[in-house]
Amino acid sequence: MEKEDIISSALLEMYVIGVASPAERLQVDQWRVQYPEVEAEIRSIEMAMEAYAMANAVKPSDAVKERIFSSLNTPKQSIPQAINIPRTVAEKSSAKVVSFSPLGRIAAAAAILILLVSNVFYYNKFKNAQGQYAEGQQQIAEMNAHLTDMDRDMNIVQSKYSKPVALDGLEAAPDAAAKIFWMKNTGEVYVDPKNLPAAPHGHQYQLWAFVDGKPVDAGMITIKDGKNYKIQKMKSFGKAEAFAITLETQGGHSQPQGKIYVMGKI
Amino acid sequence: MQSNLKYSEEELVSLLKVQDQNAFTYLYDNYAAALNGIIIRMVDDSQLAEDILQEAFLKIWNNFKQYDDTKGRLFTWMINITRNLTIDTLRSKGYKKQKQISRDENSVSDYSDKTFSSDKFDTIGLRKQLQYLKPDQKVIIDLAYFNGYTQEEISKEMHIPLGTVKTRMRSGIIELRKLLQN
Repeated sequence: MEKEDIISSALLEMYVIGVASPAERLQVDQWRVQYPEVEAEIRSIEMAMEAYAMANAVKPSDAVKERIFSSLNTPKQSIPQAINIPRTVAEKSSAKVVSFSPLGRIAAAAAILILLVSNVFYYNKFKNAQGQYAEGQQQIAEMNAHLTDMDRDMNIVQSKYSKPVALDGLEAAPDAAAKIFWMKNTGEVYVDPKNLPAAPHGHQYQLWAFVDGKPVDAGMITIKDGKNYKIQKMKSFGKAEAFAITLETQGGHSQPQGKIYVMGKI
Repeated sequence: MQSNLKYSEEELVSLLKVQDQNAFTYLYDNYAAALNGIIIRMVDDSQLAEDILQEAFLKIWNNFKQYDDTKGRLFTWMINITRNLTIDTLRSKGYKKQKQISRDENSVSDYSDKTFSSDKFDTIGLRKQLQYLKPDQKVIIDLAYFNGYTQEEISKEMHIPLGTVKTRMRSGIIELRKLLQN
């Protein structure tokens, strides 16, 4: 897509609002690095939506602020507080109970010691539980994000407009495979590159659509951490006879130069 | 706790990365009401909204290291954390995406009697400007922004073609940008 088309497609608005699909997000992430105009457009949409949020502002009660800031302080200050409390008890009791027997003082000191120790003990227990809770919450959030991704992938696969095209491994990688989902209504092209071998360092897979017998760049396949392949949106095509994926040096080329890994006719 | 300091976005970000509490106070004073407004629009329950707001700010504080200024502005990042947390909360409580189209039309004026001021934004002025936004564009922005609807869902919900959703969304936000420049 040309940058003017990108800007007029309303995709950047969806991206900023947070309702673009993961594949669309990846694509926009690429574009914003590639085109300063796209980056500038995103920033100004962000500012508009921020101001929109401000215009809808509703002041929360003061209690919320207190709760937030007191829980910021809790982890750092609660140990000294736990020690302080028994100390004041000890001062008071030593002032008032001068006439206590030495045994009584030892008992009092022991009681204070037990208090101190148990404070630290329960504090640690509390911290552990808090840590476990946060960990659990984190896991739930990750699973939710994962589910959302899967939902979106399923929508692409199950759409009544989606035409699947199987790309089979050629000589360079007979075991490799990939799948294209071509949306008949919009021409959008999605690729599922899960069964491609990991690209060697400095290389990237590039998708090609064959239009009138000639290969046309259909976009780079984005790979996170070298292994995280997801269904992703590529360039759109109104017509194509075949799709192929080649291994190219990082960033790709306007014409295929690397080996063809997989290919499929329509 | 009211902070009188002012920061540039850059200063604010670098202070928050080292968990500076004054910077966080400033962040709260300037943005809490806006985030709260978004949550209220999403959950329609001011008590639950404040619980989510609290959780969102703690998340912002604890995860600040993850903020990457090349991937968007600070406030937008905070908004996204808040919206995602709200969506997760609604899901965990068994809520479904609720249609609030008719309510949304009026909710700006519903809340406008609660005064809020920020030194970064002219909130009252913005509210007045919003009245000039076309309702058919505003509804679409609101469904996406406050209800987390995708374009496809808006198209289904409102029985209008996807292309129209895209056009209205884009022209609505362009309109918003124009209003904000005035």
